[in-house]
Amino acid sequence: MSLPKLEELSQSVWQGPSLSTGAIPTKEWMDTPVTFKPGGYAYPAKKEKLEYLNAQPGLSFPFARVWSPEEDDWLLPDNWKDIILKGIAERLDKFRSLKIFMDCCVRCGACADKCHFFLGTGDPRNMPVMRAELLRSVYRGEFTLAGKILGRLAGGRKMTVGVLKEWFMYAYQCTECRRCSIFCPYGIDTAEITIILRELLYSVGLGINWVIEPVSNSTRTGNHMGLQPLPFRDNVEFLAEDVESLTGIKQNVTFNRKGAEILFVTPSADVFAEPGIYTCMGYLLLFNALGLDYTWSTYASEGGNFGLFTNNEAMKALNGKMYAEAERLGVKYILGGECGHMWRVVHQYMDTMNGKTPANMEVPVSPITGTVFNNAASTKVVHITEFTADLIKHNKLKFDTSRNSHVRATWHDSCNPARAMGIIEEPRYVLDHVVDKWWEMPENTIREQTFCCGSGTGLNTDEIMELRMRSGLPRANAVKHVVEKHDVNTLACICAIDRATLTSLMNYWNPGVTVCGLTELVANALVQKGENRADMPEGLRTML
Amino acid sequence: MSQMFDLAEGFRQYQEKILARWVDYTLSTYESSDFFKKEKDQFANPIGGNVRVALGELLPLLIKGAGRSEYEPAIERIVSIRAVQQFTPAQAVSPLNAVKHITREIFGADSERKHLNGELYDFDFAVDIALLAAFDIYMQFRERVYSVRINEIKSGSIVLTDSMCPSKLLKPEGEIPMAQTGR
Repeated sequence: MSLPKLEELSQSVWQGPSLSTGAIPTKEWMDTPVTFKPGGYAYPAKKEKLEYLNAQPGLSFPFARVWSPEEDDWLLPDNWKDIILKGIAERLDKFRSLKIFMDCCVRCGACADKCHFFLGTGDPRNMPVMRAELLRSVYRGEFTLAGKILGRLAGGRKMTVGVLKEWFMYAYQCTECRRCSIFCPYGIDTAEITIILRELLYSVGLGINWVIEPVSNSTRTGNHMGLQPLPFRDNVEFLAEDVESLTGIKQNVTFNRKGAEILFVTPSADVFAEPGIYTCMGYLLLFNALGLDYTWSTYASEGGNFGLFTNNEAMKALNGKMYAEAERLGVKYILGGECGHMWRVVHQYMDTMNGKTPANMEVPVSPITGTVFNNAASTKVVHITEFTADLIKHNKLKFDTSRNSHVRATWHDSCNPARAMGIIEEPRYVLDHVVDKWWEMPENTIREQTFCCGSGTGLNTDEIMELRMRSGLPRANAVKHVVEKHDVNTLACICAIDRATLTSLMNYWNPGVTVCGLTELVANALVQKGENRADMPEGLRTML
Repeated sequence: MSQMFDLAEGFRQYQEKILARWVDYTLSTYESSDFFKKEKDQFANPIGGNVRVALGELLPLLIKGAGRSEYEPAIERIVSIRAVQQFTPAQAVSPLNAVKHITREIFGADSERKHLNGELYDFDFAVDIALLAAFDIYMQFRERVYSVRINEIKSGSIVLTDSMCPSKLLKPEGEIPMAQTGR
């Protein structure tokens, strides 16, 4: 009897090289074209959404068309290459950081194994250094003397349709989480390279719908969901009624109220979708208990800013509505809810994009504790977690942690608040006070080194569920550890996209683990005067 | 005349070597696998870590001819990962089968133990049964991905892309003002 040898087994199973299939590569990466298959790419931006946005003053989303990544012909404009090369030149001139990022990488490899997409796929083009190389090789080949003369010998190549397709694949296999950047000795921010790649792709009409439709909706009605003022108000009021029936305390909620001290802005997913709505109920309960002089806006009705995932101009326009509304309503400052990339935009880009804040705005001061938030002196936006931590620090809130006895929590540091703006200790401080005990995940998966949910930057769409499950593996793997070791049943975080996407991630990798926002846990445990609480074994999620 | 070693001794002698080559083979199915093979921290390297743990649990169970319920968790640990990576179903489960061939190559290279290759029927049978279990488990996880996707659609977040706003529903197709911003 002859037995098949190991090599024969391999040959019978691995049928030739193809990218990301796990097949053993036989060619250089530059010679391996990308292939798009269902499940491997997010659906292209709808033509009418791009047309709508392109018609808006100050925005540019040209070449709207119906196209498919699976087709050979992407129906590019005739002068697509000129547009791209001109776009690179403009950005090299405009952003000194990009020029430095293109020139200073020494390929040390420190970033290579830090990306959740690489760790979940084993695809070399998901190493951050390689993802940047997709652009850097064109920069060398088209913009540097050595690259023009020596070509591939100098790591350069010409801009081709194949390169453009490669960009479309890998610019959308990066969630701009910036984990790689903290390991780079030169501080290269690969997220910003992805941002530039996506901008360039939009300049020739290539984008994804899960990003562009929220941008379109936010431009039109103020929020991702496309909710108009009345349904938005109705949803919030509906949640307020739920809080009232659970606690016996009528909730005082106002909308577009001029003269309020504070404007509250949060992701619309909190108002609309599970499990964010429980976090939203938490905001309502907390603010009502404090007697906070605050109002919602039905126009600045979205904290999220998917413009960040398209181009600078769209990001600026969407961010601008927060200030516009703060000015119209005459508030002193903005209190921001549990959102992820909203804070990236506020913390890193808002100042330079939208400049001086309206004259009516002041350096934020907590009306309850008198604490001056000097850290928010320029943007005038305070994060709800630092606001709540300050309240606890000054003994302004009374908690009964037994009300969270159904919760055995671990803490997920959401990439943007944690890594981009340093909200690391505050949520832990809050968590310490609202639950009896909680458990940290392994140290190389938390704080600045936190792993992304795998679905940020507009990749939280269902058609790429498998991609999301593998990019979320490093996060889920760390959660699994605390589930097995400490019987953890709750993954808490401060990001709306996390709340939605980690729910799916847990349903696949760690069934039985619930995802919640921090303010939900705060509100669960908060003891209020005059309350007449129902039996709430599941906190705000209790169905009466 | 060399001493005749029995199969149990052969596995005791070579279990670590078989495991190391099995892990190496399994990780070689990833396009860029050096890091997966090298990094030992299971949180820095979830694929490498889980493959190492799972095969480490599985091998002694296969050697002793354990029942399916005993080794299912180990197979789930590997197959749950490979079920969402871009493998065909055969590619996803085939590394399990490789242990038969690895064992033969290792015994075959040892003149004192190559006769053991004739005694591997029970081991082969255990691997075959485990491979069949792996197909079942692969399908369970594929179905789980689909149900996760359906749950997400049903949870309402699909409205974000695939719904119309109420005002649009009131208008006939083609009458949507393109330049109305609401500002």
